[in-house]
Amino acid sequence: MKILVITEQRDAKWNAVSSETLVAAQQIAAAQPGSRVAAVVIGKGVRGLAEEAAANQLAEVLLVEHDLLERYTPDGFAIALRQVVTQTQPDLVLLAHTYQVRDYAPKLAASLGKGMIADCVGYRAEKDHIVFVRQMFQGKTAADVSFTGAPPWFVSFQAGAFRGDQVARGASTAQVTAISVNLQAEQIRTKPLELFREAKQAVDLTQAPILVAIGRGIKAPENIPLAEKLAKLMGGELAASRPICDEGWLPMDRQIGSSGQTVAPKLYLALGISGAIQHVVGMKGSRTIVAINKDQNAPIFEVADYGIVGDIFELIPALTEVLEKK
Amino acid sequence: MSVERERLDADVLIVGAGPAGLACALHLARLVRQHNESGGKPELSTEGIYVLEKGRDIGAHQLSGAVLDPRALEELVPDFAKTAPLDTPVNDDAAYFLTASRAWKLPITPPPLRNHGNYIVSVSKLAKWLGGLVEQAGVNVFTQFAGAQLIHEGEAVAGVITEDKGRDKDGKPKDNFTPGYELRAKITVLAEGPRGSLTKHLVADKNLGGLNPQVYSIGVKELWEVLPGRIKPGWVAHTLGWPLDSSMYGGGWIYGMRENRVSLGLVTGLEYHNPRFDPHEAFQRFKTHPFVRRILEGGKLVRYGAKTIPVGGWYSIPRTYLDGCLIIGDSASLLNSQRLKGIHMAIKSGMLAAETIVDALRAGDTSAAKLSAFRRKVDESWIGRELRSVRNFHQSFQHGLWRGLAHTAVQFVTGGRGLVDPMRIKAGHEQYHKLNGAGPAPPRFQGDGVLTFDRLTDVYHSGTRHEEDQPCHLHVLDTNICVNRCVIEYGNPCQYFCPAAVYEMIEEKGGRRLKINFSNCVHCKTCDIADPYQIIDWVPPEGGGGPNYEGM
Repeated sequence: MKILVITEQRDAKWNAVSSETLVAAQQIAAAQPGSRVAAVVIGKGVRGLAEEAAANQLAEVLLVEHDLLERYTPDGFAIALRQVVTQTQPDLVLLAHTYQVRDYAPKLAASLGKGMIADCVGYRAEKDHIVFVRQMFQGKTAADVSFTGAPPWFVSFQAGAFRGDQVARGASTAQVTAISVNLQAEQIRTKPLELFREAKQAVDLTQAPILVAIGRGIKAPENIPLAEKLAKLMGGELAASRPICDEGWLPMDRQIGSSGQTVAPKLYLALGISGAIQHVVGMKGSRTIVAINKDQNAPIFEVADYGIVGDIFELIPALTEVLEKK
Repeated sequence: MSVERERLDADVLIVGAGPAGLACALHLARLVRQHNESGGKPELSTEGIYVLEKGRDIGAHQLSGAVLDPRALEELVPDFAKTAPLDTPVNDDAAYFLTASRAWKLPITPPPLRNHGNYIVSVSKLAKWLGGLVEQAGVNVFTQFAGAQLIHEGEAVAGVITEDKGRDKDGKPKDNFTPGYELRAKITVLAEGPRGSLTKHLVADKNLGGLNPQVYSIGVKELWEVLPGRIKPGWVAHTLGWPLDSSMYGGGWIYGMRENRVSLGLVTGLEYHNPRFDPHEAFQRFKTHPFVRRILEGGKLVRYGAKTIPVGGWYSIPRTYLDGCLIIGDSASLLNSQRLKGIHMAIKSGMLAAETIVDALRAGDTSAAKLSAFRRKVDESWIGRELRSVRNFHQSFQHGLWRGLAHTAVQFVTGGRGLVDPMRIKAGHEQYHKLNGAGPAPPRFQGDGVLTFDRLTDVYHSGTRHEEDQPCHLHVLDTNICVNRCVIEYGNPCQYFCPAAVYEMIEEKGGRRLKINFSNCVHCKTCDIADPYQIIDWVPPEGGGGPNYEGM
């Protein structure tokens, strides 16, 4: 099976989920002997990223550069990638289900008259075909979906469906091949304006590998620097449950939960968080959950992998001390 | 800030797509078609009929037990038995008196609680289905739009202004700001359900109140999926007694639905004396009674919700007609609290309103005098007969359960008159006993997470969602009262009576503060009703927000 992975970058920095897509491709390839995986790096001035990607276990890295691909546009990416797909004839095209992919991938698939199974959470290799699993009805059911008809098949995976750190390194560096594409300015019907972040949104918690989250147990805004220091020492970001952001002690972009962000970091440390459902749905996908709470009946302990029934004002300083010594 | 609003002109504007509003719209569309087909002049159009619904979809904010008396539905949709989403016909009903550990089955089910011939339904599904018929009939239903203000012209109601969309939490316009529409109509029909926000102000401003103030009960409900065999579909049980004490009006219900579903809940009159009483907690404890636990054990919670019920009955009916305006359904107090049924009256009142409206439009006369025909029709119909027969029912419980039952017995044999007619009643919010230095409040109920739940967990299962960045829709006139007076006199009952944990008193270094978690709100209106100082004004938030009562 020939698998083509479309990676994502901005300003020559990876979107972290790209490594998850590589892992997905490598795993699917491993189940099908004789498969080869190639990765596409698309943009302008991204040869460095392509060379980085080539260190992974891949058959080759395809570098797709063009002036008109420097800034992302749906037309530019769909037209360029259509040429890449037509040229390389993959069976399976894998993408990460990012906002950008949601914007151009359906257009890309449709331009080839092909279907796309989006936002998958996993797959199963059956005897003669692959079944992709996606959620329906807000996660209440899972659906098995497979393709009928000829390839190429387009699939996007949900962030967190695969572990980006499991990407296999290559025994040798893969070849980086430049692919030229034809793009005319008239074909691009939109003009990207200045990128901006809402002034409040200084941090994207979904990209942080470690999160230290505080809840009502922190009691007062004066205590937040304690948690912030711990987060920094751990190499993580500070997050919070709703009551903290409601009070204005932390900005809304730090909120985790059903009315905040959904995250799946490697480590989620919940300090003084009770674990109401509204919060838990935003973090239960975390790889490892550690919870500290005074109340032994706090629901957070039901989802935590490790829990301490204790006083965060004793334990935060203790943890901080240990980490400072290192 | 003077705002330029887009204006639309309608013939009839119906506020609320519940059973009353939708029955009115459907019947009106039919009558309009008949009128035109018979060459009536002036010609009328269904395109001039608008229905507003603040929920995300039709049915999203509909909640009830419910056991439906189909007599009105049969008039509205004669083949309802084949086409309506009726869950199951009632085939067994029972009444129980509960003590803390026992359940005493009453040897005879009291006549008002006999339900043979009736159907267990989800009022949300019913509304969805009716909504489909209404749209098929050519009427526009605008979901996600609320009626925020009435438009008055002189003595008349001239229409409704919908809510502004896209204001941030400080009230400032955001990028997507759209001012509310000015919807003018020849006739505005208020079908907002219990404690409608437009209705409340209209009744107060124009002095439309009935002999008695309206009084309300709160119903806290959960929908469960239980293990097979735990309950028979079609079984309807009502309970009195535990966990309510004999000074309180209310009782529980358990209805067996198809596919192992159970609708259960506890109704409590919002006129209890203990300001720290928590209706949600009482319902959770109700589930721990062996009689109920046996049914639920091993099952799982599907959905949660809460809503108030107008129980004042006949003497609380306001004046239901003004120049250019009618009030129907729960908003008009058309509910039989003895039988616990209001959906049939809501539907029938919608139909009677439709008849009144067509006559008014034909005659080109939408004055109060012309529209007063609605009240006459209600009085002369089975709505009037039924409500008159229980006209003193709810009031008789103001001195406790046993005296209430005694009065009821006498009313039963005197066609509703009883020992005192009319029996007066005070508004519920005037019935609290002051704390008078009572000790600290008991700890709040946590729930075990399996059979019983805390309010936050339940709120999650109501599917309630609001745009976070919008002004708080719960207007508290003066929070100094909360922090200085109420805390001492009543202990801030809003923290207890709200079934969605919206209100919290936070202790801080500087003192105390009221925190309002408005996005938890399930639109039950309990706070507007039960606040002892009547300083909470519930206004509709941005349309689309609120619970998602699918299947409720």
